Amino acid sequence: MSTATPVLAAETGLIRFRSVHAIWWRHLLALSRVWQVAMTWFVIEPVVVLLAVALGIGRLVGEMDAYGSYALFVAPGIVIGTAMFHAIFECSWSTFERIGQSYYETALTAPVTIPEIILAELAFAITRALISTVAVAGFAIAFGWIPLAALPGLLLVSVGVGLVFGGIGLLFAALAPSMHALSLVFTLVATPLYFFSGTFFPISVLPDWLQPVAWAAPLTPLVELARGVATGQLGVVHLYCGLYVMALAALLYPLAVVLMRRRLMK
Amino acid sequence: MAAIEARGLIKTFGSLRAVDGVSFQVERGETYGLLGPNGAGKTSIMRMLAGLSPISGGELFLSGLNVAEQPRAVRTRLGVVTQADGLDGELSVRQNLEVFGFLIGLSRREARARADEVLGFFRLRERGNAEVDELSGGMRRRLAIARALMGKPEVVVLDEPSTGLDPESRIRVWEELAELKRADVTLLMSTHYMDEAETLCDRIAIMHSGRILDEDTPPELIRRHAGSAALDLRPSGSSRADIRDALTNAGLRFREVGAVIRVTGGNGAPPVLPPLEGVQVSERAANLEDVFLALAGRGLQEEQP
Ligand SMILES: Nc1ncnc2c1ncn2[C@@H]1O[C@H](COP(=O)(O)OP(=O)(O)OP(=O)(O)O)[C@@H](O)[C@H]1O
Ligand SMILES: [Mg+2]
Repeated sequence: MSTATPVLAAETGLIRFRSVHAIWWRHLLALSRVWQVAMTWFVIEPVVVLLAVALGIGRLVGEMDAYGSYALFVAPGIVIGTAMFHAIFECSWSTFERIGQSYYETALTAPVTIPEIILAELAFAITRALISTVAVAGFAIAFGWIPLAALPGLLLVSVGVGLVFGGIGLLFAALAPSMHALSLVFTLVATPLYFFSGTFFPISVLPDWLQPVAWAAPLTPLVELARGVATGQLGVVHLYCGLYVMALAALLYPLAVVLMRRRLMK
Repeated sequence: MAAIEARGLIKTFGSLRAVDGVSFQVERGETYGLLGPNGAGKTSIMRMLAGLSPISGGELFLSGLNVAEQPRAVRTRLGVVTQADGLDGELSVRQNLEVFGFLIGLSRREARARADEVLGFFRLRERGNAEVDELSGGMRRRLAIARALMGKPEVVVLDEPSTGLDPESRIRVWEELAELKRADVTLLMSTHYMDEAETLCDRIAIMHSGRILDEDTPPELIRRHAGSAALDLRPSGSSRADIRDALTNAGLRFREVGAVIRVTGGNGAPPVLPPLEGVQVSERAANLEDVFLALAGRGLQEEQP
């Protein structure tokens, strides 16, 4: 039997694909072992929100000029907002727990580097975002709130969600001194973004001073893209949104590498 | 070429010098022990070798590879058992091994086959499908060692391999480590157990405050620092203070451990007592603990309030 493959690329700072693949596989295996519970996160919770908002609040709201019904407006936002929660939860809470249980310490005794760990975490955040989107969008499609043809586009947007919010989650995991402090990622980031990123109402209804803030929020471009894809109304604004998402991802990745290295290598 | 070589190795945490210019060599197939009180720097040395901690100064080589320059190549040749087992509580026992095997570069099939081998070697085969949480402390430790062996490493680093285990489990771990030694695997281990060091290690370094105080085979260290025999004094009538004074005046090295005053010789010779009254004296063979107390004793006493 061969021993571990010597990877010379390693020494030159290249990414060893096996490291990323193996850590990602480990996370998938761990998730699949608790699939019954995982089902409730992926399906029951978001579907409750979707039904309550689209059918309940939607009936009060009535018609919305540009979108037809409120359900058509809100469904893509809920799809993306839910994907955000998955990505951010995975890379903050789960990652933080794995730091505490010396999971990464063990991984680093294998021929693995910090950038590979970060890429694996992001890959799994994307995976969770994709699973979530398939589940939630699936329901919205069944109710006729999102056209089936929009699904590939929504999946592509979910990749962006995984990268950006996985990245944000990793920053918090790397910096948080305790679980207590870590919960700030939900109170300060995830929950406000969920409500103020054009998910439940158009940003244009916010007071003037709050509008620029809402536009700069990292979930906004993703919700905007998802809505563009779902309604088929794509314009030049979506190009800017796409560029903004890519810029955020490009900024968050090296930052996560640096902070996580500081956390793990002492 | 030495399996491990450290030259003037340094590790600093802020202003603290956890490892303060340490040099040693471990030959291929040798078992080398790091002994020293809490905070001596044992774990710091091992973590630098494992690439878990940046080297602050000096040089560290594994089979001629510079750890600072080729960390990845080093880790393909090294198995590491950290002080915290680092077992994956979300996976089964067998999955812990297979996923790690895949991580180090084995194919899934190879990883499965190798997991079978190491589970067999550590007599854990029936527990393969158990959850990690269901294992006893000894089994967890052995699983952590088993995981470190997935890649058939040339060198294995073990940080306190048997701490917290009952005597039966400890002996099991010892047998398994002895088996590795027979297979010519180089072992670098730390321990707080003198019997463990004496049983397993070819050579030992005694550390204190980031420095190696002395290094040799256990018998040679004992001869040099504790003489051939040690005396245990048990005061019955006379006061401890009187005995203390008498021993100090005679220029003897001693240390009070509970009810007993241990007197050690040095450089091969047994200690010669001054006339004492009201003391039970028993002679015994000097052991590593005497060496440890003699060498690290001064430093240890300084730390006591
Ligand atoms: N991450 C860290 N930050 C700051 N100081 C540290 C850190 N890790 C270790 N130290 C300090 O470095 C010194 C050496 O620690 P080390 O863990 O190497 O000792 P050790 O010999 O393994 O002790 P023990 O027998 O208790 O395991 C100690 O004073 C310790 O407090
Ligand atoms: Mg230690």
